[in-house]
Amino acid sequence: MTELNHETILKQGRYHNLSIQGVDPKLVQALHRFMVRLRRNQQAMIKEYHPADQMRCPLHFCVGQEAVPAALSVILQPEDYLFSHHRSQGYFLAKGAPMRALFAEVYGRETGANGGKAGSQDISMSSVNFYSGAILSGAVAISVGVALGLQHKKLPRVVVAGFGESATDEGVFWEAVNLAAIRRLPIVFACENNRYSTFSPMFKRRTRESVHEQAAAFGIETRALFGNDVVAVHSALAEAVQRARTGGGPTLVEAFTYRWNGHVGPEDDDYIGYRPKAELDFWKANDPIELLEEKMRPAGLASESSNAQLIAEIDKEIAEAFAFAKNSAFPTEPDWEAINYDPTTPLADRLLRDVESGVFNHAQADAIPGPY
Amino acid sequence: MEQTRQLSFGKAINEALVQAMELSPDVAVWGQIVDYKAGVFGTTTGLVERFGAERVQDFPVSEAAMTSAAIGAALTGLRPVLVHQRLDFMIYSLDAIVNWMSLWRFKSNGHSSLPVTIRAVVGKGWGQGPQHSKSLHAWFAHLPGIRVAMPATAYDAKGLLLESILGQNPSVIIEHRSLFSMIDHVPEVPYRVRFGHALVRRPGTDVTLVAIGAMVPVALRVAQMLEKESVSVEVVDPRTVSPLDRETLCRSVAKTRRLVVADPAWRSGSVAAEVIASVVEMIGDQLKSKPSRVCLPDSHTPMSSALEAKYYPSDDVVADVVRCVCR
Repeated sequence: MTELNHETILKQGRYHNLSIQGVDPKLVQALHRFMVRLRRNQQAMIKEYHPADQMRCPLHFCVGQEAVPAALSVILQPEDYLFSHHRSQGYFLAKGAPMRALFAEVYGRETGANGGKAGSQDISMSSVNFYSGAILSGAVAISVGVALGLQHKKLPRVVVAGFGESATDEGVFWEAVNLAAIRRLPIVFACENNRYSTFSPMFKRRTRESVHEQAAAFGIETRALFGNDVVAVHSALAEAVQRARTGGGPTLVEAFTYRWNGHVGPEDDDYIGYRPKAELDFWKANDPIELLEEKMRPAGLASESSNAQLIAEIDKEIAEAFAFAKNSAFPTEPDWEAINYDPTTPLADRLLRDVESGVFNHAQADAIPGPY
Repeated sequence: MEQTRQLSFGKAINEALVQAMELSPDVAVWGQIVDYKAGVFGTTTGLVERFGAERVQDFPVSEAAMTSAAIGAALTGLRPVLVHQRLDFMIYSLDAIVNWMSLWRFKSNGHSSLPVTIRAVVGKGWGQGPQHSKSLHAWFAHLPGIRVAMPATAYDAKGLLLESILGQNPSVIIEHRSLFSMIDHVPEVPYRVRFGHALVRRPGTDVTLVAIGAMVPVALRVAQMLEKESVSVEVVDPRTVSPLDRETLCRSVAKTRRLVVADPAWRSGSVAAEVIASVVEMIGDQLKSKPSRVCLPDSHTPMSSALEAKYYPSDDVVADVVRCVCR
C-alpha cells in the first residue's frame, strides 16, 4: 500500500471514496450541518474583519479544514476534554461552546469566553472542558496531563488533543506521546496535517511527510486518512475515542487536509508563493462539504432547498452572535493581582493549622554543603 | 532554648509531603526517582510504600512533558508536586511554566487556577559547577501568576510546602541543598506558612540585613559577629520572593534607616535589586546611607573549591558590606 501523505494524495486526483452507506442519516446530517455552520461562520468573520477592524486580534481561519472539528462535535461528550491549536474556532464550537461567546471574545468584550483576555488563539471555556493555545505543542503535552488525571481518578472520560503537523517538530510533543504510551492514557491525538507551518512545508522540516509512522514507533495505535472525508474521519476518531474510553490506550489519527485561506487574517498569503496554485486548486476541488453533499443529494439527505434553509438558520445564529458581541461592553480594568493569582486558599484554610513560629532556633547547625 | 520538636530541613520537607498526601487524596508526587528508597535527598523517602505507585510516580527524563502534564492533571482536580533534583533540569520545562502555567488563570479570566507545586533543589559547593547550582528565583519572581518561595529554615520548608500544595496557585519552591541538614523547631501538626509574610529573624536597630534562602544562616552569624562590635543588625527573611512582603521590609528599614540585601544569586536583575528599588521608592528619603547588596558575581559557578570560596560571599564579606553601610 502506498504511504499516505500530501504528495501521494495529490497524485490520486479527485477523491471519490466517501461513502455514507450504512451510516446513520442523522449522523451524516449532523456532520454536514456542523461543517456548513463552521464554514459560514468563518466566511462571515473574514468578510467582517476589514475594514471594520473591530475584531482587533489575530484570527486563524480554518476554511477547508472543517472535517475534524465536525467529527469531534458529534463524538465528544460534555465531560470529555478537548484541546486545540491556534486555529481554534472550529474546535471551540465542536465542544459545544456558544458561538456568541466566541464572537464576543474576538471583539474583546466582557461577555467573551474569557472576558477579552485571551482572544481567538488562546480561547478557552472551562465549563465545557475546552482549552486552546498558540504555543502549539504545549497544549498537546497538557492534554496528556489531563488524561493522566482522568486515569488517576478512574473517570471514564477522554481527552482529544487537536494539533497541526508542525506541533510535532517540537521535542515536547514526542515526550507527551511517550508518556501517553507508557501509561496507556485515555487520549486521542488528532493531527490535522495541512502540510504547512505558516509558509514552511513539512518536507523542508522532516525527512518524512507524515506523523503517524513516527508515532507508531512509540507503541501507540495510529491511523492515517484523507482528512476531507468527514465520514472516514468520524469513523477513525470515534473508534479512537472508544478505545481510549475503554482502557485501550492512546491513538494518533492523522488527517491530511488543507487550509484554503492564508495562515492568519482574512487575506490570502499566496502572493508569497510558498505553495503551488495547483495544490490549492486540488484541495478546493476536494472541499469536505462538497464531497459529503454529493453523496447526500442522491440519498435524499440534502437538496438546494434544504441547504438554503440550513444556511438561513445558521446565518441567523451568526448575525445574532455579531450583534451580541458588538452590543456587549468592553471589560473594565481588572484587579491585576486577583486576575493573575487566586486570592483564596479554601483547602489550606480547612486542612492546615496556624501555629506560633516564634521559637526559631538561632543556634542552627551551619549550612554545610552535602557530600555532593 | 526551650525543648521543642527538632527536625532537619530535609526531613521537614518529607513530613510535609507525607502530611499533604494524607490530607488530600488529590496530592501526587512526580519526579525522577521519587519512588526509590533513597528518595530525593531523603525528601521523598517512604512515600511510594505508603501511598502507592499511582500517586508517587517516577517520570521519563522529560521535564517539559512532566510540567505540562501537571498542568493538565491540575485541571482534573489533582494537586501535583514536581520534584527536580536540580533546578537546572527544570529549565527544560520553561515553556510549560512561562507560556502556560503562569498565565493560565489570567487567560481563563480568573475561572481556572492551577494548584501545582514545583520543588527545585539548588546545589552549592563540592564542585557543583555551572549546571547544578543556579538559583533562578529572580526569573520566576518576574512572572505574574507564579509564586516563589525560598525557605531558609526547616520550619518554613514544611509550612511553605504545605501551603503551596494545598493552595490554589502554581508555586516554585526553591530549596537550597546546603540547608538540608539544618535543624529547627518543626511542629508535628500540618501547619501553614503564608506566602508574602516576611519574618524578622533577629531584631536590631542599626541596619536591616535582608537575607534570602541560604543567606539567612550567613546573615544570622554576621549579626552575631557584629554585635561584638556594637553594631545591631536586624535580619529579615522575606521567605517568599513572590509575593514580596514590602511592608515588613520597609517597616524594618524605617526603624534602622540602613539596608543591606544578601541574595544568593547573580547581582544584575536580582531580587536584591528589587528589594532595594522597592525600599528606595517607598521610604528612600528616610535612609541614612546608600543601600547595598551582597550577591554572587555576574558569572557562572566555578567547580574548583578554590574558586567556590571566592565566588560565594563569606561571612566576612557580608560583614564588611554591613560595616560599610553603617559607617
